[in-house]
Amino acid sequence: MEQFLEQLTNGLAVGSIYALIALGYTMVYGVLKLINFAHGDLFTYGAYLGLTLLTSFMLQDRLGLALGILVLAAMVMGLVAVVGVVLERAAYRPLRESPRLSAVVSALGASIFLQNTLMLIYGARYQVYPDVLPQDAVHLGGLTIPLVRVGVVAVSVVMMTVLYLFVQKTKIGTAIRAAAIDQGAARLMGIDVNRVIMIVFVIGPALGGAAGLLVGLYYGQISFTMGWTYGMKAFTAAILGGIGNIPGAMVGGLLLGVIEALGAAYLSVAWKDALAFAVLIVILIVRPSGLLGERVAEKV
Amino acid sequence: MSRRLALGYAAAALALAVCPFTLGPYWLDVLNNVGLYVLLALSLNLILGDAGLFNMGHAAFYAVGAYTAAILNTHLHVPILWLLPVSGLVAATFAVAVARPVVHLRGDYLLIVTIGLGEIVRIALVNDVFGLTGGANGIFGISRPSVLGHRIRRPDEFFWLIWACVAITVFFFHRLEQSRFGRALTYLREDAVAAEGSGVNTARYRLLAFGLGAAWAGMTGTLYAAKMTIISPESFGFWESVVLFLMVILGGAGSIPGVVLGATLVVGLPELFRGFATARMLVFGLVMMVMMVVRPQGLLPLRLPRFRASDLGKASGGGPGAGSAEPGAPRPAPAEAEVGP
Amino acid sequence: MKKAILALALGLCTLGTARADTVKIGLLAPITGSWASEGQEMKKNVELLAAEVNAKGGVAGKQVEVVVEDDGGDPRTASLAAQRLTTQGVVAVVGTYGSAVTEATQNIFDEAGIIQIANGSTAVRLTEKGLKNFLRTCPRDDEQGRVGAMVLEKMKAKKIALLHDSSAYSKGLADEINALLKAKKANVVFFDALTPKEQDYSAILTKLKAAGPDVVFFTGYYPEAGLLLKQKKQMGWKVPFIGGDAINNPDLVKIAGKEAAEGFQFLSPPVPKDLDTPEAKAYVVSYQKKYGEAPQSIYGVLAGDGFRVIVAALQASKGAGGEPLRAALGALKDFPGYTGKIAFNAKGDRVGELYRVYKVDKDGGFVLQK
Repeated sequence: MEQFLEQLTNGLAVGSIYALIALGYTMVYGVLKLINFAHGDLFTYGAYLGLTLLTSFMLQDRLGLALGILVLAAMVMGLVAVVGVVLERAAYRPLRESPRLSAVVSALGASIFLQNTLMLIYGARYQVYPDVLPQDAVHLGGLTIPLVRVGVVAVSVVMMTVLYLFVQKTKIGTAIRAAAIDQGAARLMGIDVNRVIMIVFVIGPALGGAAGLLVGLYYGQISFTMGWTYGMKAFTAAILGGIGNIPGAMVGGLLLGVIEALGAAYLSVAWKDALAFAVLIVILIVRPSGLLGERVAEKV
Repeated sequence: MSRRLALGYAAAALALAVCPFTLGPYWLDVLNNVGLYVLLALSLNLILGDAGLFNMGHAAFYAVGAYTAAILNTHLHVPILWLLPVSGLVAATFAVAVARPVVHLRGDYLLIVTIGLGEIVRIALVNDVFGLTGGANGIFGISRPSVLGHRIRRPDEFFWLIWACVAITVFFFHRLEQSRFGRALTYLREDAVAAEGSGVNTARYRLLAFGLGAAWAGMTGTLYAAKMTIISPESFGFWESVVLFLMVILGGAGSIPGVVLGATLVVGLPELFRGFATARMLVFGLVMMVMMVVRPQGLLPLRLPRFRASDLGKASGGGPGAGSAEPGAPRPAPAEAEVGP
Repeated sequence: MKKAILALALGLCTLGTARADTVKIGLLAPITGSWASEGQEMKKNVELLAAEVNAKGGVAGKQVEVVVEDDGGDPRTASLAAQRLTTQGVVAVVGTYGSAVTEATQNIFDEAGIIQIANGSTAVRLTEKGLKNFLRTCPRDDEQGRVGAMVLEKMKAKKIALLHDSSAYSKGLADEINALLKAKKANVVFFDALTPKEQDYSAILTKLKAAGPDVVFFTGYYPEAGLLLKQKKQMGWKVPFIGGDAINNPDLVKIAGKEAAEGFQFLSPPVPKDLDTPEAKAYVVSYQKKYGEAPQSIYGVLAGDGFRVIVAALQASKGAGGEPLRAALGALKDFPGYTGKIAFNAKGDRVGELYRVYKVDKDGGFVLQK
């Protein structure tokens, strides 16, 4: 039983990171009907930029840990959002009227391009974050849970809640939802769809970048290829929850994390990734609209 | 095929035939690699270009064929060339089996599923599934092919084998294009609903496309295994599938000469520019993005049949001959619906 | 037109003379790719040694020329690179790092009659194929397995967990140790693989913990080892971990953090700073002088030793390659390599024990255990 609970907490921690990244995928897909293959690399950008900013400014020493990390996160999210907007302008906007395949190829190309610029700038080796987070653990009913793990889940949940409220309760959020349902009608209603798309490409990448920073701080080690694995898992999570559906991405992410952890514990660890992909395929066959339902009109 | 294309092929064949006598083993080996990739790209073209199915897990079929041949060869000592049809069959069966549940999926979803399938196959290979695949070590000691008692060992010998296969494949696929099967695929690529409505069983043709494409990839896998004598899961990863996908798209989806050119460039150019190894991937990504904006139909795009006015006239018994119907534009844009009273 | 022909003819002549004056030794190394740091060190070692040899008059009356080809850490690139080397007139090749990569090139060199001395390929089967022209200066995984089993016995571990990462090297080593442990009727409570290049190993650590081992032997590479140590500490789990030689890298401590890494033991050929002969120490100094830092990786020095045995054998064979060179290599007894005494057995393996046990101290340094 103890192992089960511990694996559960492991899964929730990993899952909350998947969820943060999945949100970016799902928002972009909802509005543009495009799988942004480069999203995983925006996540990686967050991790690397976080490292550079952390080591250059050492804010945690100057402003204290909590405030330092907060400011760092704001900077990282801002920078990654800028990259996201540039990406949209350069790779996706020119192809808005083109067939889907072109956009997919362009997204792939963007992903490769971003990944390799990182490699050229930072080198091919792993990079290591300095140890800034506290290492204490919390003891709950026989389990030893590292404080940072609790922190990761907490931070992710807070961010997701904020996003959910933003999308549901604000005017811009409503505009985003409208554009996701039908771009043409939204335009007729006076919504500036270009601006909506830009905002989506600000929020999605920002969340992805934050996830990258979180991963860097939590695990300590980053590499320029990490966007690929996390990206695929996050995309699986988005599909699992229902692509285009924001609460779906959150649920999907957490669920996928737990499935992976339990699968590793009770089946074999070596097949963990295959399990995630198998889940993806099964969902797409059995219930392609995902657990919470797809919020996009289906074309035959 | 058109006169120009036939001349183009003849010229290429002539240039290639001279190579074993003029080039050293290194460049011949490069051309051998080009040949193998041309075969693979053509096999993917059947699925992606002709049938319009987004398949980014093609390396899985390649792997299944290569491993089938390797396992049968090393355990049962079956001569490698006899395993060509066997590996093709196994790969085709595998493809049809896994594609069956997902073949109705919409474009992007199918893409993701095929990526997932490719990864699952790769992980299974690494984890030594059924104890047969040798895990990360792969399988070694695969025998060389022998034709009429002569063992094929050196790059120049492989050159003839591989490029003969390429020639046969190109010829066969061109015939296929003109056949009923090819036309059905074109129809279902352009408009699946209309095709279904006209009586084309889309699911069946899609599966056939998968099967045939996989069969060819599987056979190429056998050639690869025989050439390298060792195979390991690293050669069949996601990146392989991406590269094949790119060869088809950048060359011109659906167009056989385009795909051949695409494969040649994608494999050949990095060898010419070896000095820029690290920046190579960067350029790749950039090229992909730029091509989609500048020339999304590919380098040598598919040309749909063009009808001359005189043909139309003959068909309707000398009717109005004015104007010529020319749906021969490369990769037509989504059709405009005609609004009428 | 005539001038052009004359220039061409002269050029060809000089080309001819140049060829006659040098002896070419190839280096196949991962200059780019996942193992670029190893490949680049291999190159530095060999080039430094070549310069030293040439300064002393070369070998068999000719200057030595090193021809470097990049194998990219990948079997297919490696086979092309090997093809290229065979067209360049090399008599022998040093390389490469990574058993799967080396394996892809063995047949090519063997069929071309070129001697190949691998420096970083420890899979047992490479020398079990009967390839006459293949040798190695690095040890084999079965030797490491033996030392590993011995260390486990010394620790009096009753329940042992084996963890690998499914790669050819890692699983091979894990299998060797497992077989030896089974023969000694030891209790192996866990045998599974993690996925490399991930970050979160909490799931597998939790599973390991539930199996209740006294010690965990991880046969994978240093990035994953560092993460395992770090996360193990976060969990508050204190069971000792041991590693194989792919863990030997200073970044291990950077990734795990000094506290988590302290007390961790691993097997390895001696690191460059622990090479104990006077010639080895002098070499380390000269390397430091030329490149500004001491050699980091033992595999680079093993490449250097590979180069040196080739040069020594070439002296004996008077510059000839092929069979005379192979015979000369086989005849070497107790050659004073920087990594220890070198001799080759009939299979091409290096004779002698190379593996030592290292422990990480509280400052993150690697300390040789006796």
